[in-house]
Amino acid sequence: MERLYCDGRLCVACHACEVACAVEHSSSRNILSVISTGEFAFPRRLVQGVGESPYRPRVGGVALSLGCQHCSPAACVDACISGAMHKEGGATVCDTEQCVGCWMCVMACPFDAITPLKTAWKCDLCPNRVELSGRARYACVEACPTEALRTAGCESVTDNRQPVTGNR
Amino acid sequence: MRRVIIGLSAAGVSAVETLREGDPQSEIVAIADESLIYSRPLLSYYLATKLEMPRLLYRPSDFFERNRLTTVFTRATRIDPQNQRVYLENGGVESYDQLLIATGARPRFPRAAGLEKKGVFGLRRIEDVHGMFERLPSVKRAVILGAGLVGLKAAAALREHDVEVTILVGSRHVLSQMLDEPSARVYEEIFRRHGVSIVTGVKPAAVLGNGEVSGVETADGQVFPCDLVVVGKGVDPNMELVSDTRINTEYGIVVDKYCETSVPNVFAAGDVAQAPDIIRGETWINALWPCAVEQGRIAALNMLGREISYRGSMRMNSVQFFNLPVISAGLAVLTPGPLGARPGEHDETLEERPSESVYRKVFLKDDTIVGFVQIGEVGTAGLLKVLMERRLNIAGIKSNLLSPRLNLGFLLPLLEENRDRFDEVEFQELMDSVGV
Repeated sequence: MERLYCDGRLCVACHACEVACAVEHSSSRNILSVISTGEFAFPRRLVQGVGESPYRPRVGGVALSLGCQHCSPAACVDACISGAMHKEGGATVCDTEQCVGCWMCVMACPFDAITPLKTAWKCDLCPNRVELSGRARYACVEACPTEALRTAGCESVTDNRQPVTGNR
Repeated sequence: MRRVIIGLSAAGVSAVETLREGDPQSEIVAIADESLIYSRPLLSYYLATKLEMPRLLYRPSDFFERNRLTTVFTRATRIDPQNQRVYLENGGVESYDQLLIATGARPRFPRAAGLEKKGVFGLRRIEDVHGMFERLPSVKRAVILGAGLVGLKAAAALREHDVEVTILVGSRHVLSQMLDEPSARVYEEIFRRHGVSIVTGVKPAAVLGNGEVSGVETADGQVFPCDLVVVGKGVDPNMELVSDTRINTEYGIVVDKYCETSVPNVFAAGDVAQAPDIIRGETWINALWPCAVEQGRIAALNMLGREISYRGSMRMNSVQFFNLPVISAGLAVLTPGPLGARPGEHDETLEERPSESVYRKVFLKDDTIVGFVQIGEVGTAGLLKVLMERRLNIAGIKSNLLSPRLNLGFLLPLLEENRDRFDEVEFQELMDSVGV
């Protein structure tokens, strides 16, 4: 499975990924339509200044574009009382039909990557983007002008990760 | 290897899946007194008719086949650890090589007369909701005993049926195990605005009625007429089956950081288990869904011989009433009794109420977070939870702790300074990627 990865040394906090993400997850998937009709559009990742006060990160500082880390096992999946939050392959996915908005996942996520909107709102790894729009696999990666956002294969990551410490 | 699991709710299901994934061959036998796998926390949504029955079922219908599970639908009554056997209510006996006790808990009924009358319910099992549905057409008034999470969920759900609801609370305020008094007042206002009467400081003495419920009388002699009573005063662990065994119990079945009981090869997880608690530094029952799922998995991994130790649980709960969310974690209350923080467990609180329906509070001890409450805006709860469970010293960031804009980027340098407390690959990647 691929993961999204942000290199903080390259991120310039331009917010292009947030815009692309919001548009990708709007109903029209079209930025002009989003701007002109005011249809609902909200990003599933957020640019954050490293060590900076939690408002708009300053251009030129060290920043990161952060979203769901698709952990395994995932604290949000453990916490979900409805089975809405689940794993699909390596991805952590929220079935919004099943989500009841209890925000157990928001409380459980150590990366602050789930927003409590009507249902849990988080990175869904742009399902079917290629098929639907013929464009690149991930909207945020495509939009990133400095190539700070990239995909990384899971081979860089220890398999069978556990949320535990130490050995017996 | 024959593994037997008693109980198929959050902890049992999580254990089954972990065991089957880690060992495709061995036999897994599940003993359960219900044949349906459903989410108990969703029952109040079902009662409120906010969702239909199929949505209670949080696992696919082929769960048993998919996990090649042998099921025995009856109650386990007794365990004989010496001979590694479980005795069943239907007369059967199951032998095991390894046992997981995930029997959960049941509603705690108060000491009051007449609780056996028709029309008195807990809100724990699906038949509770079906029983209430049956009565609801003729119910005008309901009394809720207890203002814990279940009591309030029941109250809110019954309002959806236009039932007049009165909550009788023994404590000075609602949610006394989850919120301190100022935070609880925010909620009481909302419930009253939605037509729920709340009477505090009263103890029920008797449920009145001739076979069927007709009212509740309190110890101070007040009578509240009603056609339905719901008990929502917390839960008691189902641990009778280990009495007369060498398995160590206190408030619940005591387990170590491998979720193993004092008897080898007998594990316990979920609402019945008294497991290590990160914040308290001792074992505790945190009868909460996420803890049950995690403990079920940890127990299963150790049954598989992986020797995985549990960081420990902590109290943390999230819920939304009348569109107002609340998250409470750790030692966020200072009430007498076994569940509250004891004097000296806090030495500082930070709090803020920027608007009528937004309230935040963080409880500190020696500059580490030991508890917090968020009402209205709950977006940063996950970050506070990380700071709390890793025991990070937050002296340098106190002024930002209550900010609704707190984010991970801001916290990364602090996390990096304490890198040894983060063994997750995801955190290490983040720290590496910013070169902090």
